[in-house]
Amino acid sequence: MVNTTKNVLPWRILTLVVLLMLGAGLWVATTKIDYTWRWKRVPQYFVYHAETMTNAPADGLVADIENLGEKTRIKFISETDDELFFEIDSTTLNVSIDEDLFEGDHIGSTFEWQAGPLVIGLWNTLWISAAASVLGLIIGMITGLCRVSNNTTLRDLSAIYVELIRGTPLLVQLFIFYFFLGTVLDIDRFVAGIFALAVFAGAYVAEIIRAGIQSIPKGQMEAARSLGMNVPQAMVYIILPQAFKRTLPPLAGQFISLIKDSSLVSVIAINDLTKSGREVITSTFATFEIWFVVALLYLVMTFALSQVISLVERRLAVSD
Amino acid sequence: MTQHHDIVLQLDDISQAYDRHLVVRNLSLTLNQGEIGCLLGESGCGKTTVLRIIAGFEPLLNGTVKLNGKTVSAPENTLPPAKRNIGMVFQDYALFPHLTIADNVGFGLRKFSHVERVHRIQEALELVGLYAEHSKYPHEVSGGQQQRVALARALAPKPQLLLMDEPFSNLDVTLRERLSMEVRDILKENGTTALFVTHNQHEAFAVADRIGVMHNGEIQQWDGSHQLYHEPLTPRIAEFVGEGALITGTVKKDRTVESGLGPLQGSFNVDFPSGSAVKILIRPEDIIHTEDSPVTAEVLRRNFRGANVLYNLRLDNGDKVQALVPSHCEHQPGERIGIRPDVRHLVLFADS
Repeated sequence: MVNTTKNVLPWRILTLVVLLMLGAGLWVATTKIDYTWRWKRVPQYFVYHAETMTNAPADGLVADIENLGEKTRIKFISETDDELFFEIDSTTLNVSIDEDLFEGDHIGSTFEWQAGPLVIGLWNTLWISAAASVLGLIIGMITGLCRVSNNTTLRDLSAIYVELIRGTPLLVQLFIFYFFLGTVLDIDRFVAGIFALAVFAGAYVAEIIRAGIQSIPKGQMEAARSLGMNVPQAMVYIILPQAFKRTLPPLAGQFISLIKDSSLVSVIAINDLTKSGREVITSTFATFEIWFVVALLYLVMTFALSQVISLVERRLAVSD
Repeated sequence: MTQHHDIVLQLDDISQAYDRHLVVRNLSLTLNQGEIGCLLGESGCGKTTVLRIIAGFEPLLNGTVKLNGKTVSAPENTLPPAKRNIGMVFQDYALFPHLTIADNVGFGLRKFSHVERVHRIQEALELVGLYAEHSKYPHEVSGGQQQRVALARALAPKPQLLLMDEPFSNLDVTLRERLSMEVRDILKENGTTALFVTHNQHEAFAVADRIGVMHNGEIQQWDGSHQLYHEPLTPRIAEFVGEGALITGTVKKDRTVESGLGPLQGSFNVDFPSGSAVKILIRPEDIIHTEDSPVTAEVLRRNFRGANVLYNLRLDNGDKVQALVPSHCEHQPGERIGIRPDVRHLVLFADS
């Protein structure tokens, strides 16, 4: 142990030096091109303090003002004798007691934190990826089982599906799902996007599952059958649990890819992280900052997923 | 068929082919309740295929397989393995790595209640002496223990027949010997009817009541180990089972055979008329080394085996024999040593 730490440390330092030099090089390069960094502008596209103005709904009178600390309650009596209560932030109070108000007069405001476009985009990317992953896993499982089936038709159909999907670009598949299937079947762009991603991932998952099943020794199936199980039961209780464990690392890779590939749905106008980033750039011109931030957000998602999966892997490793 | 009530396994004239090549040819055998049978043969002789046919993993081209009188395999009609109540021990054990030893053993007991299951798991594991390891995973125990877990798993559902495919081939030699005797004891204690295949005659002798010597998809002899060794039906079996050599001889009167070892006298396995040219089976233990014997032979090769030495000898007429001699008698190749045959039962084959 002592020996290895001794050997590793200088190399770690070298790694750090290389990274620092790369960073410095980038910084020097950007100073040369006359780009003004505006990192300050970025946070407001995550969350912002949105103001909601409260205006008098009709002509009337401020009957009472009750201070509740941070909030203030205003009792408003309209000319038609309707009693109305408004609650506003105390600091924004714009009326006094017994004041006559006309319709549209500003009474006060409330402030609320609201999600900015980047957070909305992040959320969309997350749930689109999650939905496509679950769907892709189901499609992949079924197709994978068909690939190892004894039935020739099932085998052929699943092979054709896999070859078709693996042989064409995802971008083209997305366009076909959105423009062709979306029009013919009249489906929403979100649905089209999720299905395109799921069908794409499913083909790869199928191959991973097939390889996993085939990597389990033939004796396992025969042992299960000689102990009173039919083939589907043996598949569920013996083959798949073992295959699942072996396929976890490649499946993790596939779902990480799926999160990244989901950025392509921005081309069919789905408000995912990438599209949100593009939109923010058009209003801020902070091109560099936003793309770095978007990249970082993708990295956080994929890193979190790979951590979760390696945790599951360690849990399952008990019986190895 | 009341007289056959204790026949557990009956193979009638079964054949199977792969790619038009017959791997099992018109094979028949029966196994009685509580008997341990063995198919002994070199790899590729079809013995494992026979086992897989009985288990229901392979279809049949011809013939029938009956289990306790019920036909389970016939051409066009194969009962699935799950419905046969046959236990099987695989060559690589095929233990389920994701289940504990207790769950492995309990796997075939799903139709029983929880209490009954736990009881049977304990019973089966105690039978093989591994109850203490029940909560471990298969990879956490030794190869010999894995083998016994596989046996317990196959025995737990109390199968009508137990099949074992090369059950000891993955074990080292000393463990193999010990475990083969243990397995026989366990099966006998349990009253299990079993059939196993092996290429190792020592295993066959140690475990089986009846041994079938297989060659080219056929059983050439189906007999007890004593008969197989001392009364082989063909020269091939004589040479395949045990060590020994065939020497030439001529049958004389009074149950005497004239040979390179001098006149040999004893009971014959088959009657030959006087004057017939025959081959005589001589086992190494049939030759006794005596310095003052009139018969001598030249040492060709010596194989030191600890307690004794196996000598390959050439007789004066050119025939070769083997002799097992206590190892304190040292002889080098090229020397001539005196030998005396000690044969009471003569195994003769027609010399063609």
